[in-house]
Amino acid sequence: MKERLGVYICHCGGNISDYVDVEKVRAAIEHEKGVVLAKTTMFACSDTNQTDMVQDIHEHNLDGVIVASCSPKLHLTTFRNVTERGDLNKYTYVHANIREQASWAHSDDKLGATEKAIRLVKAAIAKSRYADPLFPNQFEAEKNIAVIGGGIAGMKAALSLAEKKSNVILIEKENRLGGHTAEWGSLFMTDEKGFELTARIENDLRKYNNVTILTGAEVIDTKGSIGNFELKIRRRPQNDGDPMEIVELHVGSIVVATGYDHYLPKQGEYGFGTSETIITLPEFKQQVDKATGKSLEFKGKKINNIAYIYCVGSRQNEGENTYCSRFCCTSAIHTAIEVKKKFKGMQNIHLTRGIRTYGKQELLYAESLQMGDLYLQFDENNLPEIRSEGKKTVVTVKDILSARKEMEMEVDLVVLVTGMVPRPDQSIGTMLKLPKGRDRFFNEIHMKLRPVETVIDGVTIAGTCQGPKNISESVNSALSAATKSFSYISKGTLETEPIIAEIDQDACSWCDKCSNACPFDAIDQIEMGGRTVASVNPMVCKGCGMCAPVCPVDAINLIGYTSEEMMSMIDALA
Amino acid sequence: MSDSFKKNAKILVFSTEKISDPAIDMAGLLKLHYPPTVYTITVPCSSGIKPSWIIHAYEKGFDGVFIAADGTDCIFGESCTEKTGNIVAITHEKMKEKEIDPARLRMAALCSVCSEAFVKQMRSFNDYLIKTIHSNNN
Amino acid sequence: MEERKIIKYDALVIGAGIAGGEAAINLANTGYKVLLVEKDHSLGGKMILLSKVFPTLDCAACITTPKVSEIARHKNITVFTESEVTHIAKKSDNDFVAQISKKPRYVRVEGCTACQLCEKACPVSVRDEYQFGLIGRKAAFIPFSIANPKAAVIDIENCTLCGACEKACPTHCIDFTMETEYYELHAKTVILATGFNLFDPLEIPRFGYGQYKNVITSMQMEREIAPTRPYNTILRPGDGKVPDRIAYVLCTGSRDNTVGNPICSQICCMYSMKQAQLLMGALPMADITIYYINIRSFGKGFEEFYQQAKGMGVNFVKGKIGKITEKENGNLILRYEDIAEGVVKEAEHDMVVLSVGVKSNPSAGKIFDGNSLKLDPLQFIAQKDLLGSPAKTSIDGVFVAGTASGPMDIPDSILSAGSASSEAISYLTRYQSV
Repeated sequence: MKERLGVYICHCGGNISDYVDVEKVRAAIEHEKGVVLAKTTMFACSDTNQTDMVQDIHEHNLDGVIVASCSPKLHLTTFRNVTERGDLNKYTYVHANIREQASWAHSDDKLGATEKAIRLVKAAIAKSRYADPLFPNQFEAEKNIAVIGGGIAGMKAALSLAEKKSNVILIEKENRLGGHTAEWGSLFMTDEKGFELTARIENDLRKYNNVTILTGAEVIDTKGSIGNFELKIRRRPQNDGDPMEIVELHVGSIVVATGYDHYLPKQGEYGFGTSETIITLPEFKQQVDKATGKSLEFKGKKINNIAYIYCVGSRQNEGENTYCSRFCCTSAIHTAIEVKKKFKGMQNIHLTRGIRTYGKQELLYAESLQMGDLYLQFDENNLPEIRSEGKKTVVTVKDILSARKEMEMEVDLVVLVTGMVPRPDQSIGTMLKLPKGRDRFFNEIHMKLRPVETVIDGVTIAGTCQGPKNISESVNSALSAATKSFSYISKGTLETEPIIAEIDQDACSWCDKCSNACPFDAIDQIEMGGRTVASVNPMVCKGCGMCAPVCPVDAINLIGYTSEEMMSMIDALA
Repeated sequence: MSDSFKKNAKILVFSTEKISDPAIDMAGLLKLHYPPTVYTITVPCSSGIKPSWIIHAYEKGFDGVFIAADGTDCIFGESCTEKTGNIVAITHEKMKEKEIDPARLRMAALCSVCSEAFVKQMRSFNDYLIKTIHSNNN
Repeated sequence: MEERKIIKYDALVIGAGIAGGEAAINLANTGYKVLLVEKDHSLGGKMILLSKVFPTLDCAACITTPKVSEIARHKNITVFTESEVTHIAKKSDNDFVAQISKKPRYVRVEGCTACQLCEKACPVSVRDEYQFGLIGRKAAFIPFSIANPKAAVIDIENCTLCGACEKACPTHCIDFTMETEYYELHAKTVILATGFNLFDPLEIPRFGYGQYKNVITSMQMEREIAPTRPYNTILRPGDGKVPDRIAYVLCTGSRDNTVGNPICSQICCMYSMKQAQLLMGALPMADITIYYINIRSFGKGFEEFYQQAKGMGVNFVKGKIGKITEKENGNLILRYEDIAEGVVKEAEHDMVVLSVGVKSNPSAGKIFDGNSLKLDPLQFIAQKDLLGSPAKTSIDGVFVAGTASGPMDIPDSILSAGSASSEAISYLTRYQSV
């Protein structure tokens, strides 16, 4: 219990004192129990006042400090730091918001604002009496990092970690690295071949002896939390006849880069599966890449006219993929340009839902228009229809660019421009408890400012497992994820916030209600003196407090928000 | 005591650090007025509020308690909405036992910029409480 | 020759917008000392001035200010505002020598409490660049309410040296004797996060910007709907009337060879739809029409956001605007080709928002010797290995973050900054052992 409290009431240059009578507030609280110093100040946050506060803490031997000023969002950290400069634990500092929630909110009622401010300061004093020094939980962190998925994103993440002298374990389910990128030929924007790009990255990767590459390997179990994850990996035998190998790894953080799948059209979707002249974009790209002659042949037939149907499996009106797959417009256009450059007598007809060659990719669209490619546009309610008439393939579409006139064209090949879908096997996500979005891709913690971090501390997501991306975007995401994963554990020790749940284990008789309420799996049952009780893992607890109200014997309190503190604040406000 | 203190209901608001408290701050910044008898206590997450605190507030003389819940914006996950709902349900039961009008506890999800919604909630809750307090007095 | 103070840091980051800030934080959290140089008075770049962000509709200020204060408070980051890097020479692999000039603010930031008394005292009113000219400000002013550092600045160009602010200042932190300071910085790596410029619609006279008062840019609309907005309501600048038929002209200055910008700006479709949704919330009776060529809602949650805008009743017209003319009452006539119907039409609106695009900021090119820093044909910083290492530039050890290399939205800028800082950390690691 604190006995020597110092209270500062800020004028905020009139922002507070024009509406709240700060002298009256001071007078009302100066005789509160434990208060030994009560001052008003023009600007509590100013350097001069901060210096005075440090001096006061020492001179008056204060054991707790309260500032009544603006919102804690602005200056809580400022004053916690001042408290620390006065050699007090920063968690003994308590803030009262008498600007946003008193003087400004009630600028129409000065007396009311002043009375409210008095009660707010009294409540802060009440809380302050209980505000014990708290210390962050420190623990040793494993310095190894696991990267799950060996496509372009996983390889780049692993490479960048290797460059930073981390021990990296790259885990790939297939027997080779490179993922989908290694299946592509010429790539848009640079014309480099996909397999050449992945080969040069793999080559760089294999130069580092701090990288362990496990191909044919799958994570089958995970345990632990940031700093100390345990992964169990099942690896296919390297030699025939050998048994399955089980590898156990201890890592400090994890980069998940499990990638995407190509959308596979349903039987009959745009005639898919009914005719061999209806193929998907990835299949078509491979054909174009393989062809060596002056003309393009497919299944023994010469190809001249190609129809590309866009948004297959993306932007679905009916169906679960409502999202845009982002890379396919540019990829299709780039392939069509390549077709015209490589072979003679080709005509490309694009049936689109509005071309999305964003950014500099627009230049490819312009190039394709210049080369004479034909663009028609349909809307989601009038999809193009494809029928086979003997050996002919006929496409009909209502073109919204020519007043919805129905067009009919005979083509040699139909290319379905398919998008990206999340991997059907997301067991790694389930094991690590990664949340998924409505689009079923893994979800980041904040879409705008924290695009690679997840709600699970120590686990980042890279590349297309988070959502559709092109290669350059996947690499940026991979390097960002690698940097975050690296900075989590590069110091070798980790600190977590001390504001966590606390269980009175004498009162607890384990009923599992708290552990069910915890969204982070931070509560386990342990044996203690022959009884089973609940125990909070301080490394995992995030201090939400969800476990506290569900305890049938009221044995759980959130540090900093205990029932004692809350009730004494309510008493002061009442 | 100021007039506003006599004529307004006394309301305790539980806000959340990251979501609803910023909205309440912004109501102040925008000088959107609400009764000064509305007091806010901030917690990390609305699903960490104990029913006993709410009952304590009524016993100490608060006319109403308002939970400015995180809703689906909660940084601790989507289960928050359901859990906060459960807390309200349990508290309502306890209020009935103690013959406290359950309508004296209100909850609404408030986003981090829902200042206007907050002020509207406070005004309507205040109006309701004044009416019921007066009718009780009569 | 002025005296130059010699300073040393591990990394120099140029530009303290959201990309530069993110890159600086990543480096600093890994333990490196960073000098973050910003030419403006505040951290936060363009993002801190936005209303809300798509597709989450988070308040931009609410999510930017914590990030910005983290940057400002970080023990490994030193921030220079109102400063410019004038030259960088690469002496050896991990020795970049940068010349920096730090202009005077005429206010000692440590002493200023942002009480605004100097603003009240100052008799000079000029155009407020942070509100994009919608209102005025004083010559002694706080850039904007959530600026960081939140401290006054004296706009010396417009100041009459009357001394009123100095007298009004309660903490005596205004100091007219401050002078430009010159620094010579030694850093081991450099990140360029110099951002982009907005397209200036004066380049398209047929849209009437600058001539018709009710034709504004999307950035001006952004300010009208921001929480720290200038009018506290939405109105058209011509006569202060609350608009009820608002038009958006997409691709203003983008995908347009006539203004030398053939590429797509990537963000305008989305921010226009965002503004439309916010406007429908604020002005429920208003009709909002978006004139577009293609809607490019390609990112995570973007297509769903587009469908939401359609569902709310935003009117989408596939049409290219030919000319805008003004009626006597200030309303505007848009002449456009309706692509769906193949005919030229006219429509009347009472306010027009030009969705201006992203142009390069070529200033970084001039900092380095000769042409050692390569730019692309549109004057963005060229990416040496776009697919394999997107942050690498033509100079080893110099990396690019954010829109300095091309148009991108906020998450992509953050990812690009993460990428640049990752390369920089690898580069620093490589030369640490040597």
